[in-house]
Amino acid sequence: MTGGSWLCLLAPLGGTIVITLCGTRIPRVAAAWIATTSCFVAFGGAVWAFLALRGERCVHLHSLVCTQPPHLTTAWTWLQSGTFHVGLTLLVDQLSTVMMLIVSGVGGLIVLYSIGYMEGDPEERRYFAYIAFFVFSMLLLVEGGNLLLLLVGWGLVGLSSYLLIGFWHERPSAVQAAKKAFVMNAFGDATMALAFFIVIAHTHSLSFGSFGYAGFSQTARDLIALGLLGGAAAKSAQIPLQTWLPDAMEGPTPVSALIHAATMVTAGVYLIARTHPIFEQARTIELIAAGTGALTLLVAGLIALVQVDIKRVIAYSTMSQIGYMFLGAGVGAYANGMFHLLTHAFFKALLFMTAGLAIHALGGEQDIRKMRGIGRLMPFTKWCFLAGALALVGIPPFSGFFSKDSIVASAAALGTWYGWIFWVCGIVGAFLTGLYTFRLWFLVFPGEPSPFVREHHHRHGRWEGSLTMLVPVGVLAVLATVGGWLQWSPRWTPFTDWLAPAARTLPAAVPTNTQEYYTSAATVIAGLVGIVIAWAIYAERRRLAVPGAPFWRRTLEEKFYFDLLYDRIFYTPAVWISGALRREFEEPVVLQTGTDLGETTLATGSVVRRIQTGFLRTYVLFLAAGAAGVVLAFLIAK
Amino acid sequence: MLGPDTAWYLAVAAVLFGIGALGVLIRRNTLVVLLSLELMLNAGNLALIALSRHFHNGAGQIFALSVMAVAASEVCVGLGLVVALNRRRLSLDVDSLSELRG
Repeated sequence: MTGGSWLCLLAPLGGTIVITLCGTRIPRVAAAWIATTSCFVAFGGAVWAFLALRGERCVHLHSLVCTQPPHLTTAWTWLQSGTFHVGLTLLVDQLSTVMMLIVSGVGGLIVLYSIGYMEGDPEERRYFAYIAFFVFSMLLLVEGGNLLLLLVGWGLVGLSSYLLIGFWHERPSAVQAAKKAFVMNAFGDATMALAFFIVIAHTHSLSFGSFGYAGFSQTARDLIALGLLGGAAAKSAQIPLQTWLPDAMEGPTPVSALIHAATMVTAGVYLIARTHPIFEQARTIELIAAGTGALTLLVAGLIALVQVDIKRVIAYSTMSQIGYMFLGAGVGAYANGMFHLLTHAFFKALLFMTAGLAIHALGGEQDIRKMRGIGRLMPFTKWCFLAGALALVGIPPFSGFFSKDSIVASAAALGTWYGWIFWVCGIVGAFLTGLYTFRLWFLVFPGEPSPFVREHHHRHGRWEGSLTMLVPVGVLAVLATVGGWLQWSPRWTPFTDWLAPAARTLPAAVPTNTQEYYTSAATVIAGLVGIVIAWAIYAERRRLAVPGAPFWRRTLEEKFYFDLLYDRIFYTPAVWISGALRREFEEPVVLQTGTDLGETTLATGSVVRRIQTGFLRTYVLFLAAGAAGVVLAFLIAK
Repeated sequence: MLGPDTAWYLAVAAVLFGIGALGVLIRRNTLVVLLSLELMLNAGNLALIALSRHFHNGAGQIFALSVMAVAASEVCVGLGLVVALNRRRLSLDVDSLSELRG
C-alpha cells in the first residue's frame, strides 16, 4: 500500500528529472512519452494503493461505519526544532487514494492528449518536463501526510501552474496571466501559512490530527478555518480571488484541461474535506465557504453567458462547478463535493479537450462567433462534446446528474433559511449551466459551417486529430457518461461509504429521500429549461449576446468589474506609491549618495596627491621631520 | 676611564649624522646620496658603540655589527641601481627620477 503511494508520487518526479537531464539528447517524442509513461506508472501506483486499502478488513469500533486508522509512511524526519518535528510523510487513506486516482488517471490521459496537441512546438521538452512536474506537485499535495507537506505541494502546484500558463512566454498576455495567477495563489498560500502558525502555536505540531486538539479558543478555530478557506478560495478561483482563472486560459489547452479544470483548481475542495474537523469546529466559517461557493456559482454562470472565447466559457463554467463543490463541502456533505470533483474531472477535461480539438483544427482560433458549424466537419468531436455538455448540465444518465443533485439536496437537508438560499442558488445555477453550455453548443457545433470554418479547417492526418488526442477524448467521453453511475444517492452510495472513514458527511447534511427526489427533479427541469431557452435564442435566431438590458450585458462583459476594482484598489495605489518613492527617495537619496561619494573622493584626492612630488628629497625630509617629531615628543614627555 | 667623555662621542655621532642627512637632502648626485647614507649609518654605529662602552653592555656592539652587515647589503643594492641606471644611459641626478610623482 505504502509502496504504491511512493511509486505514485515519485514516478512523475522521475519523469521530470529524466527529461530535464537528457535535454536535447533525446528526441521530442521521447520526452513526451517519458512524461506520459511516468503519469501512467503513477496511476498504477495509485491503483495499487487503492486495492490494498480496499482489501483491508474493516474494523467496526463504535459504529456501523468502517473505521480504519490512516496509514502514514515516513521516509525521514525532514525538519526538527525542539519538540516540533515534521517528517517527509505520506498519508494513504480513502480520501487521498481517490485524489491520487483522479490526478494520475485523468492527468495521464491529458498528458497523452498533449502529445498530439503540442506536436511541432519548438519547446515541447520543456512543456513535458513542466507537466510531469505539475503531476508530481499535485500528488504531493494530496498525499502529504502533514500540513507542511500539504503546503509544499500547494506551493509547488502554484509554481508549475505559473510555468505552464506562461509556457508561451513570447506572448505578453500569457506572461501577464501567469503573474496574475501566481500572485493570487501566493495570497492564498500566505493565509494558509498564517493558519498553520496558529496551529503550531497551540499544538506544537502540524499533523492532521492536531485539529482535534481541545485547547483552541473559538477565535483561534475561526482564524485557522478562515486562513484555510483563503487558501482554498485562491486555489479554486472562488470569489473574491477568482479573477486569475479566466486569464489562465492563455496557456496551452491541455494545461487548461489538467490544471484549470480537472486537478489543481479542485484542490480547495480537497483541502476543506481534508481539514474538515477544524471547519466543523468553526461552523460559521464553513457556512461562509458554502456561501462563497453559492455566490461564485451564480456569478460565474452569469459571466459565462456573454463570453466569446470558447476556453473562457469553459473556464467560467469550471468556476461555477467548483462553486457547487464548495457548497457541498461547506454544508458538510464532503463526499458529495468530492464526488462532483470526480465527475467534474471527467467531463470538464473532456470539454476542454474537445474544444482543444476544434481549436487545433482551426489553427488556434478560439472565438466562438467564427466557429459556427464545425460539428459537420468533426463529428467525433461534436458527439464527445455533447456528452460532456450533457454531463455538465446534469441530464440523466450522464455523470453530472448524479453528483450535482446530491449537493443541492444536501443544502436542502440543512433545513435552515440559508440552506434554502443555497438550494435556490443551486437550482438557478443548474438553469444557468444549461443556458451557457448549450449557448456554446448551438453557436459552435450544429448547422452549416461558416465561411471562416470552411477556409481555415484542416485535418491533421486521417482522423480529426492524431490518435494520441482522440484516444483520451474517447476514454473521457465514456467516463463522463458512465462515471456517475458509481453512486445514485440515496439508493446506491458506495462512494460516500468509501469516503466515510476519512470525511464523514455531517448528519445535518444528509437529505431525506423526498428531498433527494424533488431536488433531482428541480435541477433536471432547470437544466432542461436552460437548454430550451438556449435553443430558442441561439439555435433559431443565431443571436450572439444576451438579449435585453445593455447595462447588465456590459456588467457581465466586464465580469462584474472585479478586475477594474482590483486595479483601482491594489494596482493603481501600488504604482503611485512606487512612483512617489522613486521621485522622493530613490533619486534624491539613493542615487545621489553614490554620485556624492565618488565626487568627494575625487576632490580630496586631487588635493592630497600634491604631497607626492616624486622628488626623493621630499620623502626624506618627511622622514627626517617625522623622526625629529618623535624624538621631540619623547623629550617633551620626559 | 680612558679617553674623552662619552658625551663627546655622541656629539661627534650627531654631527656626522647631521652632515649625512643634509647630504641626502641637498645633493643631487646618486653616488653622493649613497655616501651620505653611509655616513648616517656610521654615525649611528658610533653612538651605539659609545653607549655600549658607557653602560658596559655588549649588546650595542652586536648591534653595530648587524648595522654594518645591513649597510653592506644596502650599498650593494644602491650601487647596483647606480650601475643599472648608468647602463641605460639615464641621468644620475635623483631629481630627474621622479616617476612616483602624484
